[in-house]
Amino acid sequence: MQYDPLISQDYRSQAPEVAARFARIRSRPVILSARNLKRNFGAGPEARTIFEGVSLDIHRREFICVIGPSGCGKSTLARIVAGLDEASGGEVLLDGKAVSGPGPERGMVFQGYTLFPWLTVKGNVMFGREMGGQAPSEAEREARQWLDMVGLGKFENAYPHELSGGMKQRVAIARALANGPRILIMDEPFGALDAQTRAQMQAYLLQIWRKVDVTILFITHDLDEAAYLSDRILVLGTNPGGLVEFIENPVSRPRTVEQFRGAEFLALKRRLEEHIHPPVEVEEERLPMVKLTLAGDEVE
Amino acid sequence: MAHRDWLGLKQELPRKRRMWLTTLSFCLPILLWCAVSYLPWVWHPLVRVTNPGAVDYFTEDMDVPRADFASELAKAQAAGQPLPEGIRVNPVYLPAPHAVAIAFVTAFQTPPRLPNEPWLHESLGHSIRTILWGFVVSSLVGVPLGILCGTYRFFSRLQEPFIEFFRYLPAPAFGALSVAILGIDDAPKVAIIFVGTFFQQVLVIANTVRKVDPALIEASQTLGASGWKLVRRVIIPASISEVYTDMRILLGWAWTYLIVAEVVGTMSGITFFINQQARYRNFDNVYAAIAMIGVIGFSTDLFLAWLGEHLFPWKRKTRPNSPTRSLWQSCFGGAPAKEIPCSTTP
Repeated sequence: MQYDPLISQDYRSQAPEVAARFARIRSRPVILSARNLKRNFGAGPEARTIFEGVSLDIHRREFICVIGPSGCGKSTLARIVAGLDEASGGEVLLDGKAVSGPGPERGMVFQGYTLFPWLTVKGNVMFGREMGGQAPSEAEREARQWLDMVGLGKFENAYPHELSGGMKQRVAIARALANGPRILIMDEPFGALDAQTRAQMQAYLLQIWRKVDVTILFITHDLDEAAYLSDRILVLGTNPGGLVEFIENPVSRPRTVEQFRGAEFLALKRRLEEHIHPPVEVEEERLPMVKLTLAGDEVE
Repeated sequence: MAHRDWLGLKQELPRKRRMWLTTLSFCLPILLWCAVSYLPWVWHPLVRVTNPGAVDYFTEDMDVPRADFASELAKAQAAGQPLPEGIRVNPVYLPAPHAVAIAFVTAFQTPPRLPNEPWLHESLGHSIRTILWGFVVSSLVGVPLGILCGTYRFFSRLQEPFIEFFRYLPAPAFGALSVAILGIDDAPKVAIIFVGTFFQQVLVIANTVRKVDPALIEASQTLGASGWKLVRRVIIPASISEVYTDMRILLGWAWTYLIVAEVVGTMSGITFFINQQARYRNFDNVYAAIAMIGVIGFSTDLFLAWLGEHLFPWKRKTRPNSPTRSLWQSCFGGAPAKEIPCSTTP
């Protein structure tokens, strides 16, 4: 491996407080497990395996990020856990019980905006509670609390189309959390946002997660995002598809932007890059230049 | 560049220009009609005799083709007899705009020729009643069925193939049958409008409901919605404004079937009035009555568009291009959604 003085550190070496934190996490009960998950697309001889043999245990209040090259099935994994997609093999256990089909104990935030356009912001956040049979007045009171938590109390009577993308996703987070899920599945929730808003939303999400007792399974293709948010990072691969590595994030909490330049962060990121962007042979031969202009304006 | 402002691709025009163009879209055909009616050298294929002169078969106020008049005039000139005189006119079936405009008012004030015939407002009322009954009965069955077919593949596969087939059977073909079954009064007319509307309605609404964003359904499932609750709280509200638009279009179609329905059994309603007036050769009344159907249909649609704005406030910004809506806006101004400052800062 090439020597780089900046990132000489091993991504597996953990500071004592980080190691202690992981020990604490491991002592918590397992909230969600996957056993030998497999997913095929198509059937018969045409069938293509997206991933197989994916097993994992997620502890309570853990923040898990899933990354992998495109086509590795990370969104499919999230949808299987949420019950929106069916596994071709294996099972998902929530609190030790096998689950099938979607349910309110597994909340989800999608990449696209999925707020109900006919409901106000408050109505959206109340929706899950009302589905659970709660009285509207009670649901409304709770919805207000969650909206205050995500800082959108002022917009409770606005319609989704009147909000910016970041605000919509904050409402979507409040809507999912208001339902009191055991686990919150987030499928590239900030993928459609501009870089600046995304950074704000990431900081926001960490703030909310610190205040709320919720486990998060976060799908992303952004390595910085995964390194910034996660406790552990699940790396999926392609050909063969499946779990490549389950990395413990060595960066201490609480996270700050300054840590982006720290040795642990860079070591972790290099490791992730090795997984996601395998080295490519650079073509040595010089190609003849294709000229697009008429003669007379030659350049070297 | 001025032309760019008027002909910008897919660019909404300023309100004032929209208003101009809306006015013009009505004025252009009317101006054309005025030109044909009031400029004697445009068309006017007949000559109305004012003075028969020596032509023995000419009488005063008789309309003859221009060529015939010219040849008689030439004959009279050659024979040195008194010359016939006349003015160029249009055929009786093309009354001038002002005559129709006057008929628009007088048609309501003129009592029917026979005591048992209805007044115009009674005819119109009868037509509107027929349409409403047909449309309401059709919607009572068609809308729920369409929503079921759009939601559940089971109902879609069970119902839609037959409905697709039945849709091709022209409603007027059922005229004789519906009279045989339902008698000669209004029931067969309502039945024709039902047949004409219902089958299209089920298919159109099923299609609209099928177009509900699956992501919304999935999101609601992860929030605990399922079964009938999911239909009532997600699928219906997600499609209701589009279904409403479908219903507006279908109501327009129902007017087309009205004219067919009204000749079934005993002729009635506005069709009866139009036929009667055509028989009396009161073509200004005929045009006025036809225009009234347009006015009623168009103003109903404007009203429904306006009502839709208030029923579905979340749709206010998203469909600016429906023609009725833009006309509505250009005439009366839009109802802009209230502005909310968008910021993502905490």
